[in-house]
Amino acid sequence: MAMDLSTGLIALSSAVAIATSAFAAAWAEKAIGVAAIGAMAEKEELFGKGLILTVIPETIVIFGLVIAIMILGIAG
Amino acid sequence: MLIPDAMNRVLIAGPKKMQKSVIRELHKLKIIHIVEHSRNELADIGAPLENAGKLSEILVKVRALIAEMNLKKEDDFISNRPMQELSEVEAEVNKLNEEIRAKSEEIKKIEELTAKETAIRQELEILKDVNINLEDIANYKTLAYFHGHLRDESKLLALKNELQKATKKFMILDAEAKGKRFVILFVDVKHKDHANLILSKLDFAAVNFVYISSLSGNASANLKETEKRLLVYETEKKRIAEQINLLGQKNKSMLWSYEKFLGGELEKAEAPLKFAATKSTFLIKGWIPKNELNLAAEKLKQATNDTLFIHYEDAKKNDKVPIKLNNPRSIKPFEFFLDMYTMPTHKEFDPTFFLFLTFPLLFGFMLGDFGYGIVTLITFILLKGFIPKARNFFNILIFASVATIFFGLLFGEFFGYEHIGSFELPQILSRSHQIQQLMYLAVAVGILHINLGLVIGFFNELKSHGLMHAVFAKLGWIVLQIGIALLALSYFNFLSIPLYVGIIFFVLSLIMLFKGEGIKGLIELPGIFSNTLSYARLMAIGLSSVKLAEVINESAGEMFHGNIFLILTGVLLLVIGHIINIGLGIMGSFLHSLRLHYVEFFTKFFEGGAKKYAPFGENK
Repeated sequence: MAMDLSTGLIALSSAVAIATSAFAAAWAEKAIGVAAIGAMAEKEELFGKGLILTVIPETIVIFGLVIAIMILGIAG
Repeated sequence: MLIPDAMNRVLIAGPKKMQKSVIRELHKLKIIHIVEHSRNELADIGAPLENAGKLSEILVKVRALIAEMNLKKEDDFISNRPMQELSEVEAEVNKLNEEIRAKSEEIKKIEELTAKETAIRQELEILKDVNINLEDIANYKTLAYFHGHLRDESKLLALKNELQKATKKFMILDAEAKGKRFVILFVDVKHKDHANLILSKLDFAAVNFVYISSLSGNASANLKETEKRLLVYETEKKRIAEQINLLGQKNKSMLWSYEKFLGGELEKAEAPLKFAATKSTFLIKGWIPKNELNLAAEKLKQATNDTLFIHYEDAKKNDKVPIKLNNPRSIKPFEFFLDMYTMPTHKEFDPTFFLFLTFPLLFGFMLGDFGYGIVTLITFILLKGFIPKARNFFNILIFASVATIFFGLLFGEFFGYEHIGSFELPQILSRSHQIQQLMYLAVAVGILHINLGLVIGFFNELKSHGLMHAVFAKLGWIVLQIGIALLALSYFNFLSIPLYVGIIFFVLSLIMLFKGEGIKGLIELPGIFSNTLSYARLMAIGLSSVKLAEVINESAGEMFHGNIFLILTGVLLLVIGHIINIGLGIMGSFLHSLRLHYVEFFTKFFEGGAKKYAPFGENK
């Protein structure tokens, strides 16, 4: 299957969108997760709040996914 | 349902001599949320009742006993029978306490003996193969001695050679010990320093014997004795521990009943600490639900021969009113989410009903598989029976599972397949093939959800800040969305209206937001976009779940063409794969649905921050 360069670049850029935003989300979650575990060690009831706070940055990767799908949409 | 129970601020004042009966009555009624008085120049806080010290002393003992014997609490054996006199309780607790204390003392003694004997055993084990009587290892007038480890046989040989060069007067006893050579060296006192030098050159590690100095006879016989004694100690310890355990089982119900009784009594005895007090009067400030007020006042007056002054009034706008949520049974489980977040204030709508409406829908949108829905529904119904403590939580998940089944039918998905056998499932939208459409749908759901939040916010503002503020602060956001939608539609030529119509709406909304929320509103402008886009997670979580299911199905499907072994592996893969996928799906959908409510939905109308109504006397 021959593929021209522009299709490849489109695929690549959508991959970059996902990868970078996933990395950013992971980074943010790491920091929050560490703090949440720390808080939980002091007070175990904070599990619920900690869990919620930890998933908050997940929005970043969802933005990345939206962009990736939109880029793929351009490719058709 | 939408509004928490109305509360009345209550002041109860009376003479000190009535204090005890008022406390007893209030504790029984379980109705007043007491607001603690803080000391000021007008009135000090009250002093605890005279038996408070005694009560807490016994309670501490009871709790210590429970902790020491590790008695688990089981609700059904806590009796609610009227308790006997405090002195009887105290006597009983003290008796048990002494018994247990004596036994723990015994155990402690045995443990000390065991520790000593273990140390002796350790030393004897080194010596057990050396042929010498223990009392012979000592300093003599003409002989010095060393004992310790050498690395191996060759070092021992070297030692002998070196010593022989200096003197004939030495004797070496040796034995294998833990992979090394244990050596006892007796040497002529004159050559002690020389021997020391040789030993240190050979990396000799000296061993100090501390515990066996008083022993005599040979080591292996002593070792046997020691081991015998250790065994005796162990059985003795076990016997006493068993006795303690029996005592614990026998008194479990009694101790937990006392714990409850004393806890309640102590709460009563310490209640005056929350009251305002003068020399001869006390004043209780608090909140009582409006509809129970008359009954409470009546009861209190009866109990005190009408010597109380009771004043009540409706809550004012800026009062910090404790919140008693009031929801029907089916909606009540969702209060769990507010417990985790914050209570609404008395000026706001209680969002529990909206959580009940939309939480399962968003959850179902994400998990959205007919088969998964059925599995989770059955699982949660079973789990609810097994873990009654988490009933509320499972009730929420049961609602969510029903929504999952519903969306599974809409998406025509059954364990990731879009067909059962050769029967094509009817579907409104295929999640795995119409990704773009799914995304638009998700964002559309987001727009609906956020605007629902804004509308509720409008009514909240209406209640607390009046019409104009409500229009500016909440409708402003809706006008903004209309403006942007018009701009986009006319820009892309979907609508044949001039561009400036959209711009007018946009600018209008900016003015409204600035008037309603000040500069903060303008700064938060982009927030509405990220909030709306955030709903794309409805697509993202769902898509990952579908794709994972498809991967599992495909790889298992290939195996079904092979031999029996491959087929079995395929079945295993299907089962384990889908279990994992369901687990991930539940967790993801739950958290993200909750997050959409907390972060995107609640911020449009909900402030919260009130305290939960906790009536005096209610079990915590």
